[in-house]
Amino acid sequence: MNQTTAYPISPLDSPPKRPPAKWKKHIWGYLFLLPAVVIFFTFLWMPIGKGIIFSFYHIDFVKGDTFVGWDNYERVFKDPEVMISVKNTLYYILLGILIGFWIPIVFAISISEMRRFQGFARIAAYLPYVVPFVVLYGLWRWLYDPVGPINAVLTRIGFDSVLFLTDKAWSMISIVIMETWQSFGSALLIYLAAILSIPRDWYEAAEIDGAGVWKRIRHITLPAIKNQIILLFLLQLIATSQGFQTQYALLDGGPNNATLTYALLVVRYAFTRQDYGTASALGVLMFLVLGLLAVIQYRMSNKREA
Amino acid sequence: MKPIERGIVSNYDLRKPGNKVVYYMMTLIVLVMVCTMLYPMLIIFFNGLKLNTEVNSFPPTFLPAEWHFENYSKAWGYINLPLFVRNTLFIFAGNMAVTVLVIGFAAFSLSRMNVPYKKGIQYFFLLTLFIPPTTYIIPNFVNLRDLGLMNTFWALWLPAGANAFFLLLIKSFFDGINIELFESGRIDGASEPRLFFQLAFPLSIPIFATLAIFVFSTAWNDWYWPQLILSSDERYPLATAIYKYVINVRRLDLNLRFAILSMITFPPVIVFLIFQKYIVRGLHLGGVKG
Repeated sequence: MNQTTAYPISPLDSPPKRPPAKWKKHIWGYLFLLPAVVIFFTFLWMPIGKGIIFSFYHIDFVKGDTFVGWDNYERVFKDPEVMISVKNTLYYILLGILIGFWIPIVFAISISEMRRFQGFARIAAYLPYVVPFVVLYGLWRWLYDPVGPINAVLTRIGFDSVLFLTDKAWSMISIVIMETWQSFGSALLIYLAAILSIPRDWYEAAEIDGAGVWKRIRHITLPAIKNQIILLFLLQLIATSQGFQTQYALLDGGPNNATLTYALLVVRYAFTRQDYGTASALGVLMFLVLGLLAVIQYRMSNKREA
Repeated sequence: MKPIERGIVSNYDLRKPGNKVVYYMMTLIVLVMVCTMLYPMLIIFFNGLKLNTEVNSFPPTFLPAEWHFENYSKAWGYINLPLFVRNTLFIFAGNMAVTVLVIGFAAFSLSRMNVPYKKGIQYFFLLTLFIPPTTYIIPNFVNLRDLGLMNTFWALWLPAGANAFFLLLIKSFFDGINIELFESGRIDGASEPRLFFQLAFPLSIPIFATLAIFVFSTAWNDWYWPQLILSSDERYPLATAIYKYVINVRRLDLNLRFAILSMITFPPVIVFLIFQKYIVRGLHLGGVKG
């Protein structure tokens, strides 16, 4: 950038000055950065650093903290609930992929083909995303009720009614279905934009060469949105591996720990057992795994822009 | 411009019966999807109009048998909704001010002021993107406690300035503004804050509008974190209050529950329908950078 013109030119009547010192020239630049630096330090880097320190301490708000070495980590590896929560989290991630991941892709392709009412379908798909989470909890508790509408439909077409929330086998699946319902619209819009930006001539050419509809989807549409697919896949992994709020709000980890995810266990250690040290240790361990994912995601999204 | 719109399927394809079936199937699937999206949205509203016995009846009805609009006035008095809405707007306004002043200033400096060690400072901000928030949720809580910010709005406002993702969005928007504009401003003797407020900010209204939608939806939706750091009705945002007093109680009649829920669902839905264009754009920004 051309810096020579960036000087404020001194008024003509003032005496000629020496060129300002380097720090003086940039004083505004640093002043502008200062609040952000302070805030990022205080509210992001400090907690992050404290997390590592706390993981070696027993935290007591009244008597003060005591150093306990690796005790917290030992507790983590001895606690059978940690194993359960890791399994549950992996199961949750897997269900998220099996139930939730492919749906926006299918609907994005279908909607992109609609000749009419495309805008309407798009809005309808996105609408649940603006519903506040707390409303979601109230609504779906009713929908999943043993005598709720979903069970009414199931019994009408001859199935047994399902205890969506209280049956151990169903509770996690029910949560994933609910979250998919709410959030697939945002992924759908991202895919849809990518699909609609594919040049129409490519399909034209493929058609002339005799490629059928399925072949066009497989060899043109899907490769064209490959980057979005990978990126959203990683984002979903990062999001679901940290998920706990729905599990907490709807079932508090129950029935019988079937929806106790790892992040929920972290929160439980801190706020139910008041063991902030072990909770911090769990957080550090989580970071070691997830940090890697975040780096991969970052490299992917940069590659896409290049 | 091509005369006929085409997608994957061309009009010629549609004349073949096999393709036609597939095409109608696709349309049907989308139609089913639209219904499963709209049914729960509408049922929130209709359940709020039914008698409590009707909401609890099996099989459930869709339209109310009788329309009981008085449910809404009863629900209005059940909790102090205006207070919680006020708190939510407070939180939104503070978060937005911090976003503009703290993140906006920093982005301006990084984008347009060419300070030494810029790269290093940028890393200081952006590396935080790699650290998933749940991993430091507990120390974050303890930290706010140590700072004595518990049960104050500052505990929400100040951390709103620590958002590397927003910083990135604003900075890349500033990067797109013509540099000559600022240089001529400097030559004319404008101070740097003035350049920010009179040039950079007004020219960047689109990105700040998009961020405002993000910030608003966080303030409106977030119930868990405020519940941890705030501890009085005087400060609870709407979502936290609803969670504590509507979702988490057993005694409340279902029809009143739905009436309250529909009242807090409709404002964001209406905002969405009006500002759809900006929201969708914001979403793409989110998709690009993660």
